[in-house]
Amino acid sequence: MKLKEVDRTAMQAWSPAQNHPIYLATGTSAQQLDATFSTSASLEIFELDLSDPSLDMKSCATFSSSHRYHKLIWGPHKMDSKGNISGVLIAGGENGNIILYDPSKIITGDKEVVIAQNDKHTGPVRALDVNIFQTNLVASGANESEIYIWDLNNFATPMTPGAKTQPPEDISCIAWNRQVQHILASASPSGRATVWDLRKNEPIIKVSDHSNRMHCSGLAWHPDVATQMVLASEDDRLPVVQMWDLRFASSPLRVLENHARGILAIAWSMADPELLLSCGKDAKILCSNPNTGEVLYELPTSTQWCFDIQWCPRNPAVLSAASFDGRISVYSIMGGSTDGLRQKQVDKLSSSFGNLDPFGTGQPLPPLQIPQQTTPHSIVLPLKKPPKWIRRPVGASFSFGGKLVTFANVRAQPQPGAEQQPQPQHVFISQVVTEEELLCRSEQLQQAVQSQGFVGYCQRKVDAAQTEFERSVWSFLKVNFEDDSRGKYLELLGYRKEDLGKKLIKEEKQESEFLPAAGETFNISISGDIDGLITQALLTGNFESAVDLCLHDNRMADAIILAIAGGQELLARTQKKYFAKSQSKITRLITAVVMRNWKEIVESCDLKNWREALAAVLTYAKPDEFSALCDLLGTRLESEGDSLLQTQACLCYICAGNVEKLVACWTKAQDGSSPLSLQDLIEKVVILRKAVQLTQAMDANTVGVLLAEKMSQYANLLAAQGSIAAALAFLPESTNQPNIVQLRDRLCRAQGDAVSGQQESPRTPYERHQVSKGRPGPVAGHAQMPRAPAQQYYPHVRIAPTVTTWSNKTPTALPSHPPAASPSDTQGENPPPPGFVMHGNVSPNVAAAQLPTSPGHMHTQVPPYPQPQRPQNGWNDPPALNRGPKKKKMPENFTPPVPITSPIMNPLGDQSQMLQQPSAPVPLSSQAPFPQPHLAGGQPFRGIQQPLGQPGMPPSFSKPHIEGAPGAPIGNTVQHVQSLPTEKITKKPIPDEHLILKTTFEDLIQRCLSSATDPQTKRKLDDASKRLEFLYDKLREQTLSPTIINGLHNIARSIETRNYSEGLTIHTHIVSTSNFSETSAFMPVLKVVLTQANKLGV
Amino acid sequence: MGSNGEHLRALGTSHPLLNTAPSHDAQMDYYGTRLATCSSDRSVKIFDVRNGGQILVADLRGHEGPVWQVAWAHPMYGNILASCSYDRKVIIWKEENGTWEKTHEHTGHDSSGTIGCNAVSWAPAVVPGSLIDQPSGQKPNYIKKFASGGCDNLIKLWKEEEDGQWKEEQKLEAHSDWVRDVAWAPSIGLPTSTIASCSQDGRVFIWTCDDASGNTWSPKLLHKFNDVVWHVSWSITANILAVSGGDNKVTLWKESVDGQWVCISDVNKGQGSVSTSVTEGQQNEQ
Repeated sequence: MKLKEVDRTAMQAWSPAQNHPIYLATGTSAQQLDATFSTSASLEIFELDLSDPSLDMKSCATFSSSHRYHKLIWGPHKMDSKGNISGVLIAGGENGNIILYDPSKIITGDKEVVIAQNDKHTGPVRALDVNIFQTNLVASGANESEIYIWDLNNFATPMTPGAKTQPPEDISCIAWNRQVQHILASASPSGRATVWDLRKNEPIIKVSDHSNRMHCSGLAWHPDVATQMVLASEDDRLPVVQMWDLRFASSPLRVLENHARGILAIAWSMADPELLLSCGKDAKILCSNPNTGEVLYELPTSTQWCFDIQWCPRNPAVLSAASFDGRISVYSIMGGSTDGLRQKQVDKLSSSFGNLDPFGTGQPLPPLQIPQQTTPHSIVLPLKKPPKWIRRPVGASFSFGGKLVTFANVRAQPQPGAEQQPQPQHVFISQVVTEEELLCRSEQLQQAVQSQGFVGYCQRKVDAAQTEFERSVWSFLKVNFEDDSRGKYLELLGYRKEDLGKKLIKEEKQESEFLPAAGETFNISISGDIDGLITQALLTGNFESAVDLCLHDNRMADAIILAIAGGQELLARTQKKYFAKSQSKITRLITAVVMRNWKEIVESCDLKNWREALAAVLTYAKPDEFSALCDLLGTRLESEGDSLLQTQACLCYICAGNVEKLVACWTKAQDGSSPLSLQDLIEKVVILRKAVQLTQAMDANTVGVLLAEKMSQYANLLAAQGSIAAALAFLPESTNQPNIVQLRDRLCRAQGDAVSGQQESPRTPYERHQVSKGRPGPVAGHAQMPRAPAQQYYPHVRIAPTVTTWSNKTPTALPSHPPAASPSDTQGENPPPPGFVMHGNVSPNVAAAQLPTSPGHMHTQVPPYPQPQRPQNGWNDPPALNRGPKKKKMPENFTPPVPITSPIMNPLGDQSQMLQQPSAPVPLSSQAPFPQPHLAGGQPFRGIQQPLGQPGMPPSFSKPHIEGAPGAPIGNTVQHVQSLPTEKITKKPIPDEHLILKTTFEDLIQRCLSSATDPQTKRKLDDASKRLEFLYDKLREQTLSPTIINGLHNIARSIETRNYSEGLTIHTHIVSTSNFSETSAFMPVLKVVLTQANKLGV
Repeated sequence: MGSNGEHLRALGTSHPLLNTAPSHDAQMDYYGTRLATCSSDRSVKIFDVRNGGQILVADLRGHEGPVWQVAWAHPMYGNILASCSYDRKVIIWKEENGTWEKTHEHTGHDSSGTIGCNAVSWAPAVVPGSLIDQPSGQKPNYIKKFASGGCDNLIKLWKEEEDGQWKEEQKLEAHSDWVRDVAWAPSIGLPTSTIASCSQDGRVFIWTCDDASGNTWSPKLLHKFNDVVWHVSWSITANILAVSGGDNKVTLWKESVDGQWVCISDVNKGQGSVSTSVTEGQQNEQ
């Protein structure tokens, strides 16, 4: 396709490849006259601007020359790397002269544009070529067999390649070899070509077919093969291009007979050795493959002959041709559309007539109707065979899982005379691994989880710790897996019970020496002083006055002793008075201990004393408040402390078992961007999760957005290293976060699990869209990421008995549990009958089909794919029932108690699971009824309620199931707590004004029980009834805040009016506005009751 | 970092029997389980490469010239593959009931031979940094932008205006020859946008933009090769760049902590001498 044209009768030279933009230099052609018979000459430079669709070329500069030219070339000599217009224009003149011009000076309009000039040659200089290896070397040819080699750095004295060939003849062509820098070829119209070796300074071979008809008009070396060259003949009797190989120089290797008349010029593409241009007296410009002879392209030309043809070095698709009709045309061999081009011309035509009303008629010209061409689309087709420069020979693309697909096309070395055999081409898939250490550590972590070797793992981490802080973190984590965790925590904080005990014993021994001997008589004072008054009060049984008197006299010990005798109430009042008066340094601590107000310590202690505060909490705090207190301390450290204390907050969160806060705090403290620092975090989180699970008291609060985010980051990282299985194991399972859902899907499929055959329709967690026809816009607009509906594709179908989720939404997922289609639906309320154990894959259509499709989107209801095979014992699995060192084998259908699902986090959560929560406070007396572990389908186990420590019990039964943290008292620690006299609790009656709550709730449960039919519901209600005891206990202790009490009364009122949905709303409000630790023991149960009541319509 | 080759584990094998003509593109699907190749023999082939296998799933014929590129649709649209060829056709192939068939064909695509666009790459649909700044659950801002690289040595950034028109937003100038490929790095939630470009001039540049307006791009030279660089490809996590050069070499580059780009591996394959029985997990020491 023609791109540009210039009306000049001229020789042409493209700017060197380095140059950008592209320039075309033209020099007035010698021995040709145009219609004006003008003899003036000029050297012009045009810019090739392909973004301008017009046919015009922008003229940059014109230099009026005294010479006309036979040959013009543009060498890159001394071009700077920036590609500024430079190099040297080398012109062959009519009278044996060679002139060097500075193109940059021509463009700037400088008058002194000639660098040098030499007229050593005889006759017109028709042949010029620049050595591509040494661009300062230029070869020239003229009459009388003259060949000179010019050094542009020393232009005055040319060299010769050897002795002149005889007989003397014109040199019409000259060309440097493209592979070997000291080889030069020349040719003459007589048909002979000579190859020179400049090192030997002599001709090494002469090439001729002895036909005497080869009148050489063109000579070109093969761009790639050093020994091959082509010769073109302008003789009409032999209008051929001969391909020669100097290794077989007796006859041409191939003869291209594509022209009907003599060939005037040829040009071999440097960018693709299969493209040879030739133009001839048949007015054709052909592009042929000289290696096969095939014509690949015929340029649409006029009837005029072209006498010069040049490839553009920079844009290999562009060529220029100079024709005898006085025109230089620039073509592209890649074809294209000419529509825009013609329109441009029309516009230009119109505008040249001026403002569309050239004749002043007052009427603008009507728009010109261009006659339609016969071809429907004026598209010029490109070259038959794609040129090499658009054939990508090599490529590498990453794909999911760190795989790299690479291909590289092996270049076959062309063999002379032999057809090229297609080489087998290879496509490779490689695994790219860049994080060896991460993979190694991840593997260790997984092994620790699988083997349950947590203590050993933590110990190794302690040993390997680089910093003190790292060491304490791992020490704290390790304690979670050991007996007496609270005690060990205390030791880590520097408080050793045994040490204190030893000191105490010493003191007691000393004290005992001062004890008065028993049986000694004593005086009762009856004097009028304070002693006497106290005596009176005591003798009359007036403890209160006696205590007052003692206090007044500052006899604190006496006052307290008397107050104890005077009863609880008096003691309490006396304590208060004592604390009001006392000024000792440790008063506040004592106050807090006696009043059991640990919150006071945690909230008010100097943060420097965080260790002491934590120690106090570890020693005294009740299980249901323990975790919250640790949290509180951690939060204070994090928000108020300096950077050192901020990191210590992590220890508090470990004690609290609060994974989410640990993640947040850790992320803040560390540079979390590198893979290994993420690994650091994940190790801790996974171990802490395991600890929380081991104590059977997973706090639902610990699962949150941040942790999920980190885990999915980690999974992404593992996936990128090709560890798909590991990535799946670490990916949070039960979440509706779209990115996690998508990653899971991607991992599953990458693992090759899901797609079992080509018959399957695609099932993805993405909204499906039909590919719209012909409207690209809307399609792209719809290509949004899937939102919430995506979760419907992940019903929780369980296969392996050890598979579980870790989210707060569905904290358990053991085989006896029904498949929950999604956390937000309520299907869980209709679970299968007890004892139903799902083995393997349940048809998931049921779950999926029940879900509504959101309107306005194309959803294809597709069955979710089966839960993929995954490594068992993933990090988020519950402790396996058959392998914990502390546990004995459980019956197959045993379901361990499940942690409380936080109502704050998930007010609409599946309440059926709440029934499985364990009771909260530790029974303080060993006779207290032990909360019955929930036994799924557990009829055989019903009734097994045994006191603590009963021999023969499975250990996990004997362990109280406590809400709270890993450090919360269990086992030995319970004993420790019991031994404290301050923990003695007597059951008080429920205050009269709150009795209504108990009666209302119990009445409601009874009503539900009588109308409920299925055993599972009944069992839930039974459970609920028991668990509401925690509420009643709190009512007795009057520890609930007024807002909660008010809310409960409101719920009771709504129960009385049977408006259960209103009750649920109030419930949600309470939960969302109250302290988690205050309500978690009973609010979820209450919700279950309300939900059931609503459902049963009692 | 180790010596060359250490980071590569040869997974699959070659399939020389199946691709006898030069390949021009090879792309895995979204999951990395299927490989589409296209070659100069006008064919598009799909292989199932799960678990190190290489089962020819489909040999798609319909192009009348060498096939340059293949591209998988996101699976949300189904199993769909697009291919483009020297014949100016773009063909959309779709798998229905286990059979791949041509569903759409766009003919008469103008060649860009004169203006010379060599590559385009979509920007991530999510505004840089929006994953971090926005509270979760909120829909992130989507943008439509792409980069093009062409024969004018420039990388151009295009953005869709509100009226649906595409507007050239930016010109990035550093290459001294044709830009052969551009690759917009996948978004990993960071506020920085990154583009890799490679050129006929042998240079590979990494362009980064930190400002919110998206208009200040600064280039960093990754390396100057001795040959044309044809192709650049980001890893999914956007931290490794695979660079394919005219010397048939593929190199992997990673940004070091101090911001320098370091070559971490040579993937010097495709010399035809690699055994076709490379087994999974085996180190490729070639």
